[in-house]
Amino acid sequence: MADGISLLRSPLILGNKTAAQVTEDVCTPLDRGPGIAWWFAIAVSLSMFTLGVLAVIYQLFTGIGTWGLNNTVGWAFDITNFVFWIGIGHAGTLISAILFLFRQRWRTSVNRSAEAMTIFAVICAGIFPIIHMGRPWLAFWVIPYPNFRGPLWINFRSPLVWDMFAIGTYFTISLVFWYVGLIPDFATLRDRAVSKVKKTLYGFFSFGWDGSTKTWQRYETVYLLLAGLATPLVVSVHTIVSWDFATSVIPGWHTTIFPPYFVAGAVFSGFAMVLTLMIIARSVLHFEEYITLHHIESMSKIIIATGGIVAMAYMTELFVSFYSGNEYERFAFVNRMLGPYAWAYWIMVSCNVVTPQFLWFRKIRRNVALVFILSILINVGMWFERFVIITISLTRDYLPASWDNYAPTLVELATLIGSFGLFFTLFLILARFLPMIAIGEVKGVLSYGRKGIHVAGEEAGGTKSIKTPVQLGSGVQGGTP
Amino acid sequence: MKQTNVITLLLLVGLGFTALTLIQAFSQSYALPGNNIGYEPVQPIAYSHRLHAGELGIDCKFCHTGAEISRTAGIPSANVCMDCHRFVTAPFNQVRAEDEAAVKEQRKPRRIVSPELQKLYTALGLNAELQRDPKAKETRITWVRVHLLPDFAYFDHRAHVSASLDCQTCHGEVQTMERVRQVSDLTMGWCVNCHRSSNALGVKGKPVKASTDCVTCHY
Amino acid sequence: MSHATTERHAEKSRLMSDFHLNTAESSADHDTVASSFDRREFLRLAGFTFAGVALTGCEQARVEKAIPYLIKPEEITPGKAYWYASTCAGCNAGCGILVKNRDGRPIKIEGNPDHPISCGGLCAIGQAQLLGLYDSQRLANPMINGAPTDWQTLDQKLMDRLKEIRTGNKAVRLLSGSLTSPTALALVKRFLASFKDGKHVIYDPVSRSGILEAHERTHGIRVLPRYRFERADVIVGVEADFLGTWISPVEFTAAYRSGRTLEGDPPQCSYHVQIESRLSLTGGRADKRYAISPSDRVSLLKGLLSLLEGKTTRAKPGESSHMLFLNELADRLRSARGESLVVCGSNDVASQMLTNAINEVLGNYGKTLDVQSPSYQHQSNDKALEDLLADLRGEKIGALFIHGVNPVYDLPGGKEIGELLAGVPLVVSFAERIDETAHRAAFVCPEPHPLSSWSDTEAVAGVVSLTQPTIAPLENTRALTESLSAWLGKPSSVLGLIREEWRTTVFSRQTMEKNFQSFWNQSVHDGFAVVAARQHRKGAFDSRSARNVVSTAAQGERFELVLYPKVSMGDGRHAHNAWLQEVPDPITKVTWDNYAIISDVAANNLRLASGDIIRLTVADADPAVTLEVPVWIQPGQPDSVVSVALGYGRKGTERFAKIGPQWLEGKPSVGPDGLVGVNAAPALQLLDGQLLYERQGVRIEKTGRQQALACTQTYQSIDTPPLLAQGTEARRPLIRYATLAAYAANPSAGSGPEHKSQSMWPEQHEYKGARWGMIVDLNACTGCAACVVSCQAENNIPVVGKDEVLRNRELHWIRIDRYFVDHDGDLDVAHQPMMCQHCDNAPCETVCPVLATVHSEEGLNQQVYNRCVGTRYCANNCPYKIRRFNWFDYAHDDAKQNMVLNPDVTVRSRGIMEKCSLCVQRILEQKIEAKKNGKAVADGAIKTACQQSCPAQAIVFGDMNDPASLVKKKMADRRSFNILAELETRPSVGYMTMVRNRSEQTGETSHG
Repeated sequence: MADGISLLRSPLILGNKTAAQVTEDVCTPLDRGPGIAWWFAIAVSLSMFTLGVLAVIYQLFTGIGTWGLNNTVGWAFDITNFVFWIGIGHAGTLISAILFLFRQRWRTSVNRSAEAMTIFAVICAGIFPIIHMGRPWLAFWVIPYPNFRGPLWINFRSPLVWDMFAIGTYFTISLVFWYVGLIPDFATLRDRAVSKVKKTLYGFFSFGWDGSTKTWQRYETVYLLLAGLATPLVVSVHTIVSWDFATSVIPGWHTTIFPPYFVAGAVFSGFAMVLTLMIIARSVLHFEEYITLHHIESMSKIIIATGGIVAMAYMTELFVSFYSGNEYERFAFVNRMLGPYAWAYWIMVSCNVVTPQFLWFRKIRRNVALVFILSILINVGMWFERFVIITISLTRDYLPASWDNYAPTLVELATLIGSFGLFFTLFLILARFLPMIAIGEVKGVLSYGRKGIHVAGEEAGGTKSIKTPVQLGSGVQGGTP
Repeated sequence: MKQTNVITLLLLVGLGFTALTLIQAFSQSYALPGNNIGYEPVQPIAYSHRLHAGELGIDCKFCHTGAEISRTAGIPSANVCMDCHRFVTAPFNQVRAEDEAAVKEQRKPRRIVSPELQKLYTALGLNAELQRDPKAKETRITWVRVHLLPDFAYFDHRAHVSASLDCQTCHGEVQTMERVRQVSDLTMGWCVNCHRSSNALGVKGKPVKASTDCVTCHY
Repeated sequence: MSHATTERHAEKSRLMSDFHLNTAESSADHDTVASSFDRREFLRLAGFTFAGVALTGCEQARVEKAIPYLIKPEEITPGKAYWYASTCAGCNAGCGILVKNRDGRPIKIEGNPDHPISCGGLCAIGQAQLLGLYDSQRLANPMINGAPTDWQTLDQKLMDRLKEIRTGNKAVRLLSGSLTSPTALALVKRFLASFKDGKHVIYDPVSRSGILEAHERTHGIRVLPRYRFERADVIVGVEADFLGTWISPVEFTAAYRSGRTLEGDPPQCSYHVQIESRLSLTGGRADKRYAISPSDRVSLLKGLLSLLEGKTTRAKPGESSHMLFLNELADRLRSARGESLVVCGSNDVASQMLTNAINEVLGNYGKTLDVQSPSYQHQSNDKALEDLLADLRGEKIGALFIHGVNPVYDLPGGKEIGELLAGVPLVVSFAERIDETAHRAAFVCPEPHPLSSWSDTEAVAGVVSLTQPTIAPLENTRALTESLSAWLGKPSSVLGLIREEWRTTVFSRQTMEKNFQSFWNQSVHDGFAVVAARQHRKGAFDSRSARNVVSTAAQGERFELVLYPKVSMGDGRHAHNAWLQEVPDPITKVTWDNYAIISDVAANNLRLASGDIIRLTVADADPAVTLEVPVWIQPGQPDSVVSVALGYGRKGTERFAKIGPQWLEGKPSVGPDGLVGVNAAPALQLLDGQLLYERQGVRIEKTGRQQALACTQTYQSIDTPPLLAQGTEARRPLIRYATLAAYAANPSAGSGPEHKSQSMWPEQHEYKGARWGMIVDLNACTGCAACVVSCQAENNIPVVGKDEVLRNRELHWIRIDRYFVDHDGDLDVAHQPMMCQHCDNAPCETVCPVLATVHSEEGLNQQVYNRCVGTRYCANNCPYKIRRFNWFDYAHDDAKQNMVLNPDVTVRSRGIMEKCSLCVQRILEQKIEAKKNGKAVADGAIKTACQQSCPAQAIVFGDMNDPASLVKKKMADRRSFNILAELETRPSVGYMTMVRNRSEQTGETSHG
């Protein structure tokens, strides 16, 4: 779509919104007191979260033994969840950064919540590497810092150390990126706010934003730069996470295709999660006109693409294991398909390979309910992918005498539930206090697919922010056409 | 506009300065666990290393017999003290004074027992004639340990003594201390650095092999 | 560590102080106990304090007190270890031991290399005696009617009662296990002689009476022969688990091993046939194993005998495989007259008589088995026992003294015996704890633990060993001899009694030393003395005796029950020992329970799976006996036989209910009845003078209940499951195997051409000084698990409990992998001790984020506990899976028990990784000593715990950079190989091919 505006295009935002309406639509849910639905949702997710917290506290005081791990299987639920959540995060960065650079304007109405999702997902993910340690209170030892031990440094050869750096960077960048994106909208909220408290708070966060052209210009530049910074992270983070396994000697882990495989999988699962959340949000917050079927469709398309890559990766894995002629390698994969955990493998395949294929059909892509179900299935599938790779490979490696099975304990299940609880809690809080849609950016695409519109805008944050789509994100000085 | 900037700048500099000084002050009192440098506990018997090791120049290993043959140098048992203190029961000057007094008063000199040594005798259950008193009960002398390593760090005196290392290298100038004080911080870094330098420079010109493997101390 | 105890543990210190006074004012003993707590505490709290520091800036230092001796014994230096020669009392074998004593308390037991019986080895039970010493359940005082008292009052009361008995001329019996102590025997004789009708009745829970009985009948002499496996070229074991549990396993293992060293040309290797009704440790090693059901045994022996006597003609080809087997066996035996040995483990006199006849025909007497200077390890007489029981029923007994046995528990009809005891006017027990029998005794006169008292032993004629105390008594106990002498009216110390006995009976039998004192000193120093054996004259062989033996027939389709002693549990006298409870059985790998072993065929017929609880009903017993035990399905088990281990279900094992970590899903280590395992003794049969361990006509019913069995190995075979073996090598090249023929032709048969592959590792490790390495000879290893317990004792490895084992979280640093390998019809059991392989290119080292596991300058893979944060990445990345994780705080709070801890090894806390360190503390000790004396460490000076205790000397440790070292030579041997060499991990631990004496030319080589 590099070529400007085409009359043939259907508008991104329906219902001939004016800028004012946009602001109204996005901000009213915030002014309005929380609805019964919200209270219900937060109640559920909070209790899930509490359950998780209790489980973790119990585990911290009793020992990792409260997990189902054993001498053979040293990682299972913990690292599975970690990789899963990191994966979820990726869609956010991809949407906000890569799609931005590719000038995918439809991203505007989803990027805000997608980015939020990234941050929350990384928070969820970040918890696991810490609590999975035998002595989590010493987690800070993986950070290189001057000490009285000789000094004693960390092992820079260890992928876990790389993880620490990768995830740290990822989190920071994502957070900054998201916040910068929020600034104009904070301004909008500030200007609309009636209560003193809100005014000052939003005021503080809006960084004294005056919608002046110069501000906008700087803003655009920063945003562009950050997008540039964030883009490599989409690839790097999950690549490094995959090295946790790729650099090992365990058959089923020791695989060179892991980096692309993991990244694709991450984006795949990420978009599934975005869909899940968006579909809920649009119906609860009545954003049907902003998050249109068009959005859902284009995300579905990305899912098909990435899902394809994932399926390809699965097949490559199998082929390589067969072609390598390494009996342990072969066994590892035969064992996945036919061994005691075959069910997990086949859940994974059916969810990640079969499910996306439905999205080839326009009818299904445009059927919100179906897409919703599919998206959830894909998330289940991706969780199992990580379980299959991490746990099953460990259960049966080289010496048959040390083979053993793994079953999660209640504590582990509770921890998993808790991480979802945390995720949704954070998301719901966001939905209460911040605009779920990037007002400023959406206004920018109002005209998209619509001829000669004249948007009369009075309110601050918005008016000056209306620019032609070409200018949006191009970093060129803005102004009303 | 300009003015405010300047003010802010000054403020910032001032802040930074205070912060630094505070940290400086703070870091003085800052010690990691196990680093009890300067630890100087009161002992049950005011035994003076200055007197014994310093003035009288008794060799460390005369009392700390374990140093050459065992992991631990060991604290001398009471019978070792008695080797001398069966006869020496009080500072010389006091004894001499008593003798002179006795000569003046034409009487047998009384045995003078210093209060600190009395503790030793009571512990051993000795009577005034320093004979074992069957009725008296023996009591343990519980010294307070000065040089204390964490339980996961093993130190072996044999290895260091046989490398002809001076006790003072780690324990400081004990012969000058009235009460023993920990002079080295005994942190891992302190150990490792000494091992490294010994490997490079040797001990007293004699080349040594001071391993820096973890298992040298941790097992 | 050695000189401190903490304020924080003042409580415990006080608790300890009585030991403290006992142990010669040595403070160090109680300090290490206490500081073991600190160590744990500290490691756990370290992190928190670190955090605390960050906040508060400074923290209060730990205050430790240091308490020196008041008057230091001349010979003791705190922190220095001393060794005392003594004798193991774990069973009757009488192995020589060296007890490592540190600051007044024993911390390790090792085999005495000079001892003529054990030759340096020590079994798991022997190793575990150490923990038994610090058992808090041992009686602290003598008891009268269940109330603690002191010896004076007890003697008083008891002697009054004895006076009555003497006046009343009542019968007095002393019931004991086999007594190998000359002093004790003499005193018992003297004591019983002081009564009009006093008899000494001897029985062993695992009785060998049949052998003695048989010899009485065939050779007219009631002895247990001394078996000389080292002199036998052809060994036939009939139900005799002589490498595991039979008579003197350590002695026999060493002897057996010496016949199979594969040295010389052609390589020297005895031929071993095992005929048995359950897969025993010995059967697993056999060159030819032949499974029979007990009822076939007699006929089989008869068949063999008549073949050897040439009475029956040789079998034609095409005859039953049974006959062919017998013929081949007969040929083998004939070819080795006087150099063969047939041993029978059954207590059935008939079988034993046939065995004697066979050995007689082969002319083995005086060569491979010796009845002139026999063994005294078993003197049991089941006939006398039967009479005693009769007398008890007839209420003819006035006083019964019970020593070293537990009839209420370990005899059939124990319940009845218990009731009978109530009818005896005076019952005196010498039990060390209130066991099933002792709590029915009016007087309990506890004996001290063998490690804390004097004793002597003549286990085999001519070898007298001494037991000397290695710690001041922890309880107010008294040796049997001392008690008896007191009751005889001339009280004397046990030492005095022994010296007296030795002066009179032992000293006279030797010629080396002229004066007794120097002889005595020498004997105490060595722990034993070799003297002239008392000669026993054997009568002429009575050939008729063996003739009229009638062979039994199996009863229909019902099962035959075999009751056997387990390698780690024996007759159950050590059932209170947590170490032994957690030792995986060498064959089944199950810990913490006994179970009914059945074959998979039987299991299919009865629709049983391992863990299903079955009800065994012994029909022909009255009252009918039933046992409810879980099933274990076992290859090599005859379809008609069910085997159950003795020695379980002991009173007092309730203590293990809470031995493991207590948490949400944690389960106790005891069964539903609160005990560990089930007592199978009621199913024994005491029938016309024989204690029988085999029952016919046993019914099996399914109860529908289940009980998980804690097996340390979830997958049993070396072959991957057929379904999953698609396109891959079914048999993994982990155990290398060759037949003797193949090996003779090509010494590297089996170990194959070394796997050449590209390494992605830089050549980075060059070792200037020593490079430590170890090699394990799979051909010698019997899997007896002595190394496992030895390692546990040396390295402070805690017991984790059944539930944790079920979760595959056992902490043993040595895991003996046991694979069932089918070599063209022969079921071989391959044992492969797996400890840290100390790889040059260690996968664990690269992945640890905090450098908690790194390579040493001497090739050791170091694990630094205090640096570990517990990511478990190293364990995941270890292809050998030998790393062990502290999932919970496993260390125990039993202050007395913690006296067992080795002060030279850190007690690991929760959340950190641990593994085999190749006993680095021993390496350092030797290095420092060498440095002190300005010498290099001599080859063999450093012995790892596992190596030291291995009865088969299968493990060799040393410096691989020393061209003269034994380990280097073995590494160069063409039988040696590394496991998973293709991974280029370059292990410092090697293995040697397993060779079986078979003719066919098979040798499994490395794949590829």
